[in-house]
Amino acid sequence: MGARVIAAMSGGVDSSVAAAILAEQGCEVIGIAMRLSDDGAPRTNRRAACCSYDDFEDARRVAEVMRFPFYVIDLREEFAAGVIHPFVGEYLAGRTPNPCLLCNRDIKFARLWTRAQALDADYIATGHYARIERGPQGDFRLLKAVDARKDQSYFLYTLNQPQLARTLFPLGSMTKDEVRARARRMGLANADKPESQEICFVPGGDYAGFVQSQSRPGQIRRGHVIDSAGRILAPHEGIHRFTVGQRRGLGVAAGEPLYVCGISADSGNVIVGRRDELRAAGLRAAAVTWTATRPPGELEVEVKIRYRHPPIPARLTMTAADRAEVAFARANPAVTPGQACVFYRGEEVLGGGFIESAL
Amino acid sequence: MPIFLDYNAGAPVRPEVRSAVAAVLGGGGANPSSVHRGGQNARRMLEQARAEVAALIGAAPAQIVFCSGGTEANNAAIFGTLRARGPRARIITSAIEHSSIMKPLAHLEAEGLEIIRIAPDREGRVDPAQIRSALDRNTALVAIGLANSEVGTIQNLSGLSAPIHAAGAMLHIDAAQAAGRIAVDVSRLGCDLMTLSGHKLGTPAGIGALFVRDGANMTPLLFGGPQERGLRAGTPNLIGAVAFGVAAAIARERMEQEAGRIAALRDTMLERLCAAIPGLELNSPRREVLPNTLNLRFPGVRGETLLIALDLAGVQVSMGSACAAGAVEPSHVLLAMGRSPAAARSSLRISLGYGTGAREVEDACGIIASVWRRVARAENHPQVTA
Repeated sequence: MGARVIAAMSGGVDSSVAAAILAEQGCEVIGIAMRLSDDGAPRTNRRAACCSYDDFEDARRVAEVMRFPFYVIDLREEFAAGVIHPFVGEYLAGRTPNPCLLCNRDIKFARLWTRAQALDADYIATGHYARIERGPQGDFRLLKAVDARKDQSYFLYTLNQPQLARTLFPLGSMTKDEVRARARRMGLANADKPESQEICFVPGGDYAGFVQSQSRPGQIRRGHVIDSAGRILAPHEGIHRFTVGQRRGLGVAAGEPLYVCGISADSGNVIVGRRDELRAAGLRAAAVTWTATRPPGELEVEVKIRYRHPPIPARLTMTAADRAEVAFARANPAVTPGQACVFYRGEEVLGGGFIESAL
Repeated sequence: MPIFLDYNAGAPVRPEVRSAVAAVLGGGGANPSSVHRGGQNARRMLEQARAEVAALIGAAPAQIVFCSGGTEANNAAIFGTLRARGPRARIITSAIEHSSIMKPLAHLEAEGLEIIRIAPDREGRVDPAQIRSALDRNTALVAIGLANSEVGTIQNLSGLSAPIHAAGAMLHIDAAQAAGRIAVDVSRLGCDLMTLSGHKLGTPAGIGALFVRDGANMTPLLFGGPQERGLRAGTPNLIGAVAFGVAAAIARERMEQEAGRIAALRDTMLERLCAAIPGLELNSPRREVLPNTLNLRFPGVRGETLLIALDLAGVQVSMGSACAAGAVEPSHVLLAMGRSPAAARSSLRISLGYGTGAREVEDACGIIASVWRRVARAENHPQVTA
């Protein structure tokens, strides 16, 4: 038997193939699905959400085909405390959270890792598209995936050296098409399962409705949509309905396209403006962490300010132990507080933090 | 070979059962209802099995209705008596029953029936006086388990049948976990209906029986042919019935001796585990309990993790019941017994059986203690944090 690996399995094709590849390579794979929220009634739309009965069945089928044990563990309380409540709190505070990041940081690579140790595992594996390489000094480097369109390293910047040493990303060097082909070749039933794009605990993608359902009426911050000169344009039903950079659904008629440029939880105002008013020279980042040791002094990096945003050349200056200012090489649109900013050098993820404000 | 300590979920098929089933399979199949001699031969085997199952609980063979298992027997008992009785009724039960009692009753409750669920004490014991005082003229049925599957508590049901019958109600006893492990006598209990399960005694799953007292007013769950005195339509499961007959005969012959042997192993196990695991708590009662069942609270761990870790280390036990997706839920029995959700979540059930010997107990204790230490260390002092 090879190394004992806990494979986190969602029932999707990526995590299934990741687990199956390790089993083929001779690892002692133990498949684990995480029950993160309540199943509720059987869903008619199979893509509606994760953690559904069907998804676990898909994962279980893969384990049966590949002949490794499979278990479902209950992390609902941890997920509610570590992901759902902060998600709601961030929206109520006028920021735009990234729950996948919190889930990776506080659930998969924390709680699941704890379980993995209890099960005497050597590694945990996920179906993320990212790579981990051993550097010349024996250090571990987190790298972008080979398939640039699928690269998920953005969601993994919180991994530190001990975590990187115990994590496997078997799909890091594969393209999505190769993963699907591999799934078909191995006879996995979910080879052509559609990809889930939305947040798993918000079926249907109605974030505003979800936030409202999870909060007390007094927590909803209503106010006005105003322009940069302070003119009131329209009332709105709560700042949690807005995201910096958003264009549609502002409830304001104007001759030119307007964007959300800022949200004030204190006043309840949502400030809108033209596209050029959205441009920021940089950002302030909090809760900054590094995959390896913290680089000294100023740093030339490329920064990704959203998952689907190309990296921007920037200069990074640490202002405190875990705080940084990032000055973009040129002005760029839509710095969205609450999202992660991830620092790259070429292929390598150096670290990242949460965007506190535009600079 | 893993050490199997999950007999309350279902025992491995007994070797004697395996050879009896093989003989039936080798003898060519026939429908016991067929007129020809093949059918007559099948019918003879079916009736012999029925007699053995009846003898296990002191019943007459004609009072045994074979069916697909404990779940069907419980459903047939509940829906059969209610349909015969009419729509308005009260049913009295306990809060620690098997899901095949709880779920049908919850369904009926949603339809407007009145369900009284008696809470047990901390040992899982239901007070018969509470059942008596819940009886009224509207009561159709008292449905109660004789021995609890999760903690092993045996209920004292003697003397209950008289007041139940006086109120015009029927007494259904779920003996799926008790029959074959402890002496069960339908005359002494005075029950009208009793559920029996084959695979707890070492048959393949898919065979069970409902004891139906003569004259009990009930309608069948399944309508069709006239099999099983019209109380359970469908070609009988001959292979299952033969298996059940053999397993019932063995259980009856060896009951006293086996109960003593297994209780001694259980005591050894509890003693060894208590010595190795400081803070270990016994959820099962000490007295009036199945000889084979140990429900234990393991300090400082999630039962779920311990269960998986034990499986990977070769010891098979169980915890609560699994949800549809396969995750384990904290035991509703332990919660009803007044344990906190945290306590229920860190409890596991160990159940012994005919194949358990001193060697298995010895090995299992060693593995459980060392795996518990590892899990407790990991869950309380993880080496890597974000």
